[in-house]
Amino acid sequence: MEVSFELNGKDCTVECDPHETLLTVLRRQGMVSVRFGSTSGETGASAVLIDGQLASSEVVLAAQAGGHSVTTVESLNVEADLHPIQAAFAATGAMQSGYSVGAMVLGTLALLNRDSDPSEDAIRDMLSGILDRETAYVKPVAAIQQAAAVLRGEEAEPFRPLVVAPMTDGVHAAEHNPDDQPPQGSSAVPRLVPSRDVPSTSVVGKPEVKVDALRLVKGNPAFTDDFEMRGMLYAKVLRSPHAHARIISIDDSAARALPGVHAVIHHANVPRVKYASGGQSYPNPKPHDQVSFDDKVRHVGDRVAAVAAETVEIAQEACALIEVAYEVLPAVFDEVEAISGNAPVIHDEDDTIDIADASRNLVHHMTAERGDVEDALASADHCYEQTFRVHQVQQCPIEPHISVAWLDSDERLVVRTATQVPFHTRRMLAPLVGRDIKDIRIIKPRIGGGFGAKQEMLIEDIVAHLTIATRRPVRLELTREEEFVSSRTRHPQTMTYRTGVNGDGTLVAQDMKLIGNTGPYGTHGYTVQTVAGLRGLTSYNAPNKRFDCEVAYTNIPVPGAYRGYGAPQALFGLESHMEDIAADLGIDPIEFRRQNWTKTGDEMNIAPHLGEQGVLEEELDEYPTVKSDGIEECVAQGARAIGWHRRDDRSWREPADRPHIRRGIGYSHAMHGTAIPFLDMGGCSIKLNDDGSFNMLVGATDLGTGADTVLGQIAAEVLGVPLDDIRVYSSDTDMTPFDTGAYASSTTYISGTAALRAAEVVRKRLKERAAMLLGIDVPCSIELRDRRAYAPDGRSVSLEEIALDSLHLNEQEQIMGTGSHVSPDCPPPFGATFVEVEVDVETGQVTVGHMVMAVDCGVAINPVTASGQVEGGMLQALGYAHCEEFAMDEEGRMLNAAFGPYWIYRADEMPRTDVFLVQTMEDSGPFGAKAVAEIPKDGVAPAIRSALVNAVGVRIDQLPFTPERVFDALQRG
Amino acid sequence: MPRALTYQRPDSVDAAITLLTGDGHRPLAGGTVLNADDDPTLVSMVDLQSCGLETILATDGRLRLGAMATLADLAEDERVPTGLAEAARAELPSTLRSLATVGGTVVAGGPDSVLLAALLVHDSRVQVVGPDGVTTVMLPELQDLGVPVGHLITAVDIDPTGSCIRHATARTPADVPIVSATARTSDDGVRLALTGVANHPVLVDPSDPTSGLTPSDDFRGSASYRLRLAAVLATRALAATGEVA
Repeated sequence: MEVSFELNGKDCTVECDPHETLLTVLRRQGMVSVRFGSTSGETGASAVLIDGQLASSEVVLAAQAGGHSVTTVESLNVEADLHPIQAAFAATGAMQSGYSVGAMVLGTLALLNRDSDPSEDAIRDMLSGILDRETAYVKPVAAIQQAAAVLRGEEAEPFRPLVVAPMTDGVHAAEHNPDDQPPQGSSAVPRLVPSRDVPSTSVVGKPEVKVDALRLVKGNPAFTDDFEMRGMLYAKVLRSPHAHARIISIDDSAARALPGVHAVIHHANVPRVKYASGGQSYPNPKPHDQVSFDDKVRHVGDRVAAVAAETVEIAQEACALIEVAYEVLPAVFDEVEAISGNAPVIHDEDDTIDIADASRNLVHHMTAERGDVEDALASADHCYEQTFRVHQVQQCPIEPHISVAWLDSDERLVVRTATQVPFHTRRMLAPLVGRDIKDIRIIKPRIGGGFGAKQEMLIEDIVAHLTIATRRPVRLELTREEEFVSSRTRHPQTMTYRTGVNGDGTLVAQDMKLIGNTGPYGTHGYTVQTVAGLRGLTSYNAPNKRFDCEVAYTNIPVPGAYRGYGAPQALFGLESHMEDIAADLGIDPIEFRRQNWTKTGDEMNIAPHLGEQGVLEEELDEYPTVKSDGIEECVAQGARAIGWHRRDDRSWREPADRPHIRRGIGYSHAMHGTAIPFLDMGGCSIKLNDDGSFNMLVGATDLGTGADTVLGQIAAEVLGVPLDDIRVYSSDTDMTPFDTGAYASSTTYISGTAALRAAEVVRKRLKERAAMLLGIDVPCSIELRDRRAYAPDGRSVSLEEIALDSLHLNEQEQIMGTGSHVSPDCPPPFGATFVEVEVDVETGQVTVGHMVMAVDCGVAINPVTASGQVEGGMLQALGYAHCEEFAMDEEGRMLNAAFGPYWIYRADEMPRTDVFLVQTMEDSGPFGAKAVAEIPKDGVAPAIRSALVNAVGVRIDQLPFTPERVFDALQRG
Repeated sequence: MPRALTYQRPDSVDAAITLLTGDGHRPLAGGTVLNADDDPTLVSMVDLQSCGLETILATDGRLRLGAMATLADLAEDERVPTGLAEAARAELPSTLRSLATVGGTVVAGGPDSVLLAALLVHDSRVQVVGPDGVTTVMLPELQDLGVPVGHLITAVDIDPTGSCIRHATARTPADVPIVSATARTSDDGVRLALTGVANHPVLVDPSDPTSGLTPSDDFRGSASYRLRLAAVLATRALAATGEVA
């Protein structure tokens, strides 16, 4: 049918099918700023203005838009300059991946057209329909306020950190003074607590605008789905309706006969090559218990077959025509039951090796011990034991998994894909499709969030198989339901802590017994649990420590990597355990932790025995120590910001005018890690251009974190140029150096050091060429700054002059440098998380009113992007603690595989979130940097539990804190 | 979504009714439910946007909400009682509120719809048009009987006096309530509606709000917990209106 509407002010007539959505038609018209989030429209990524009203175009038929005015962000892109709204989003760091920023910009446009000075409530209400897993809505609100001010003709305040005076000497605790007021102002502005140890810099440490801001805020083509391939086929996957079943037969004849179908693949026609899908360094941890298509399914949503067809609808119809006969098998979902010896065997095939005990669904059993834990526990003055259960949640990137594969003109296999691990994917994909690594190219464009879900070779093999089968480009995009049931999730765990404490509050032993639930496949099952042990046993000093872990196969949707990687689970248990011990001993909860926490100079005595590189059994001659910590400053700043003293104020905790409400304030301590020592590796190359600018190629995978920006800042600082002179490109396995990928809080520290080294190589040669031009014998005396090379006598030559000379005039050469880095260290960032809650004692409803996190991440290379990382991490952590959970029926089917039933926090309900960046100088990191990306995930759940204890005295050892769970706990007393 | 085989946009209610007598024809309002449904059934869409049903009109002491008035219209119209407008805002987030309609909510609003609860306490009378003409049905009756095939909701008339107050328990502040209680006092007395305790929002006896309720369990709340919430929240809502359960 033909539909006419006004598109961005111009008449537009399109041919479309009656069932096609406005989203589909707009994207076909090139309006790629309008992006898919879910077919039910609640992510808001697809929102456009229809007659000036913000509306999700996924739930609007194109035909419904006929006769109306439709506006997309492209309407603002009439000039090279940004519209003031776009400029405000860029200036305030209001986007990370930027996947949904087009919708936010449009919503702002509509809002400001109605009200030039909207209240924060009105802004948050507008944003309520645009879900964001990255910013916690903090900076988008600030961006809208700034845009409104600019459009009212007011001058915009520069968006820069608020410098806050230190409250401690960096070593000793500060006395909490109730009269001392925290810094005032918008939460969006990061509070930066400087350290005297940090040298002055020009680009590093500055709130530079993200290098990809323009393409994101304009909605330019940037993501996997934004580039069209001629002759594209569309893939769909037939998924298992059963949690555990053997496939007796598959009849694909009807599907193949359907007009428009080009390929149907399944276990009978795809080679059986074993692999493990977790995107990890070579060699991937065993067992390799997956194949592209198996004759057995092990969870609801598991792959059965895939189809490539002319349209998505035909592919979907073909999937429905595939006749599969199943022998349904009993299933098991609980990790403790799974390894009991009485559960159905999930991996009974004979070609998966290195399962610890397949007959018992035991994938791994690992132990590590320092000292003699049993002996220490037996002789301790107090011994405490506590068991915690943590649940399954999903990463929920707003951009679902999407991959497009094709054969290039040399018939090499190219896959453009939303991945955090392009180089691992290339290596892992090669054997599955029977090609050499050299014949595969993986392109990582912009990614709409990943959070670990995309640290996986999840669907790339499917599009690759289909492309090879059809010799046509093939695209596969997961639906939101598939994202829940067939993507990756956080591991559920049952963990038991036993801790021995002397009468003076000193820990003498800590024992952690963990049963991890890795679902039906190993993927990250080994490493997430060892990292849980590492994080769960490193925060506090105890001479005797032990980790005993069993990893179970079950039939739940597959767990994998999720930001924090075992730490959020472990630190919920550990911090809750410490809280309760402190209460039993009658010691202040912060003081008890302070007495025992690991700080500068302390040995991390079990760290080398655990972690992602595996379990090490033999004793070492030397153990790593903590070289920097700002934890006392974090505690002092956080306590002041939350008003810690109020927890002892009964009149505040029990408001007289609301008799069913109790208030509480909680605290938790966090110590995380930075990269995987001896394993994570990043590479970088930099070359000089004619105008004195540089191209920088990095394998590091910016998935919205701002990695490209931060790495660019590091290079710019070394080369004495503004960030704008560094053109950063990431990542493409044909073009960029190797990098392990975006995970383990490694990019700034590892890839950043690679960038530093590459820049140092270039700097050295620039100085040598400058010395030639200036007639100086000692190149090292030359300084680079302000795009020039300065001799000690003040004479200078511009980098452009050096470039023209070296490229065109004299002793021609390409000035370029490469650098790579792997670290023996894993310097821990530290954090103090404070939370204020209200509890309705008649219903169990918990309302979180205020969150504060003070983080020591060394030197934040970019305080705006760093604080954005903390804000977004806390939003996810809040969901983990409070409302997100997989609800499953007895057959293993997910009951809430959609946003809404699976609730993630919206803009109009987020509590105030304040972030403090406490500087320390970590000498092993580039310009003093440590990690920041994952530690915000660690503290919220135990801090809420701590606040619940303060408010109502109940101690709940299971997440999340949903109303009925809290109500039941209140009833039990 | 149901796969639209054809799309038609009649310009009057009569024309729409005529079309809806055809096999497989479905009325399409805002589309937030129908277009989001993943049912692959082939249907013929009858889009009601040009039938003149979007008007909100004060008449004879009542307020007529056109079936195609959007929830955003309700939320922003000053003639709509405050509590009802707030319920329209709470029902859906911004990007869906601008599409979803009053009529669509009456037809498809589920057991947790706070807007339906607000409509119930505002004495809603639903105007239904079919081949045989116009009938007016009380909202609770319509909830029980449904809209006959080939018929359309054209408006919902409410008593705009007084304003309702809602008390709710949810996982988070903006989440769909597990249970909510909406109360309104007017010259006719007090009305109380609950969500989350039956297969649709229900008017209950303010003096005995949980009598006869048999809620179902789900992952957000067990039946017994829902009953407990109903009692607590009803008491609070009534107290807020000056009534006592």
